[in-house]
Amino acid sequence: MTDNEMLIRQAIAAEANEAVDPRAVMAELQKGKPRKKKWPLALVAAGVVAAAVAAVAVTVPHATPVTQPAAAQPATEQNILLVGVDDNQIADSVVLANVKPNGDTALVSLPRDIRIDGDTKLKQLLASGGMEKLTAAVTTLTGLHVDHYAVVTMKGMQALGNAVGGVEVCLKAAVMDSFSGADFPAGRQMLSGDQALAFVRQRHGLPNGDLDRVVRQQAFLKGIAKKALTKPARLPEVIDLVQKNVRVDAGWDMLEFAKRFTASPAVRAATIPVGATHEGPTGSGLDVDPQAVREFARTFTSSAAPTGSGTPAPGDGCIN
Amino acid sequence: MQDDYDRFVADRLDRLLRYATAMTCDRHLAQDIVQNVLLRAQPRWGRIAAMDAPYLYVKRMVTNEYLSWWGRRAARDISLSHSTLATLAPAVTDHAAQHAERDAMRGRIAVLPRKQRAALVLRYYEDSTDAEIAKVLGCSEGTVRSHISRALTTLRANELAPVEVL
Repeated sequence: MTDNEMLIRQAIAAEANEAVDPRAVMAELQKGKPRKKKWPLALVAAGVVAAAVAAVAVTVPHATPVTQPAAAQPATEQNILLVGVDDNQIADSVVLANVKPNGDTALVSLPRDIRIDGDTKLKQLLASGGMEKLTAAVTTLTGLHVDHYAVVTMKGMQALGNAVGGVEVCLKAAVMDSFSGADFPAGRQMLSGDQALAFVRQRHGLPNGDLDRVVRQQAFLKGIAKKALTKPARLPEVIDLVQKNVRVDAGWDMLEFAKRFTASPAVRAATIPVGATHEGPTGSGLDVDPQAVREFARTFTSSAAPTGSGTPAPGDGCIN
Repeated sequence: MQDDYDRFVADRLDRLLRYATAMTCDRHLAQDIVQNVLLRAQPRWGRIAAMDAPYLYVKRMVTNEYLSWWGRRAARDISLSHSTLATLAPAVTDHAAQHAERDAMRGRIAVLPRKQRAALVLRYYEDSTDAEIAKVLGCSEGTVRSHISRALTTLRANELAPVEVL
């Protein structure tokens, strides 16, 4: 133990001695009422921007009767990069949405811990190099051109979940995790926006960690798109929230884009194939086989989508 | 069940408050956090008590509540007030010299990034092993060591460039 460490020990002990009298806290506990919260609980990590854009994309045509002549130029397939960020501009959720002219959508999730070069991970690119760098990396990774992007914050995602009145999901097993505040029973259940946030944030305690989280984000996205379609009364609120919470690239005419969506676009979701976890100085990262990823992205976005929306996933649709 | 929870609280409340105070450098915030965590733990105490180390789990909840705390601005305010305190440290008399040195260190610790400070408190106050700290912080042992070594480097560097004396 060095002198410095001794001093640190003393300083910390002195700080600890400032603690309030436990008897006062005990009395409060016996009253059983939480102290008034001064902060919204943990809005930090994990995001699902996809929810926002899918919701606006699916809902806009219903909410705003088409005012312009419908004779627009023929729509083409577009790839939209959807990014969910935390307060530090760390990308917690990166999804490439391939949207066909008829609105059918294939969502390709890119796990945030994929190593891009050396020890840099996908999630760090936005903070270090902006959307330009992130977009370039996604194109390199998937071989797909990015036409537009949208970035949403966690708070926006939560608000959106609340606005559509909750999202239905199904869990294979009960989970409890203090990091995200997730505390859910097994089975089919309706999540409020606040719960949904914990649901899409949880990564600790899941069999496959961040990869399971990605699946949850996809489930949430599908749920919200479905809900937005069946609750037209809430659409104006949803659209308002999207406009306040989603940042898109300057050249993107979202209203025009939204016209391609019919009442029931098919939405499919999948995660790119990933390799082994690799421990590095910045924590564990995921290795990928570039060729396999490109092949997967090409096939998944070009294969015919199942018809109709809300098609139940194979099996019971329950996830980790 | 209720008895078990009550016993846990009776045994550990003081320690949890001290730990949280050392970590947050704010006794009132520490009280809020510990109180809220214990209240949330109560209805699911059966599941928590069944774990290997309930105290470690509750400590993790407390730590996480702080680390994920939204009030970043407030955290900065706290830090500022501490460094101000350190700067304004009492006129140094012979008798007070040791205390002044310690309080200056308190001020320096208070302005460390929150995760580094949490790791430091776990090691030097809770005497936790790297493995335990990793569990509480939800990161790898390597990350724990890097938090602590960065904190120590900062504290050492600051020592060489002492806070301005008025």
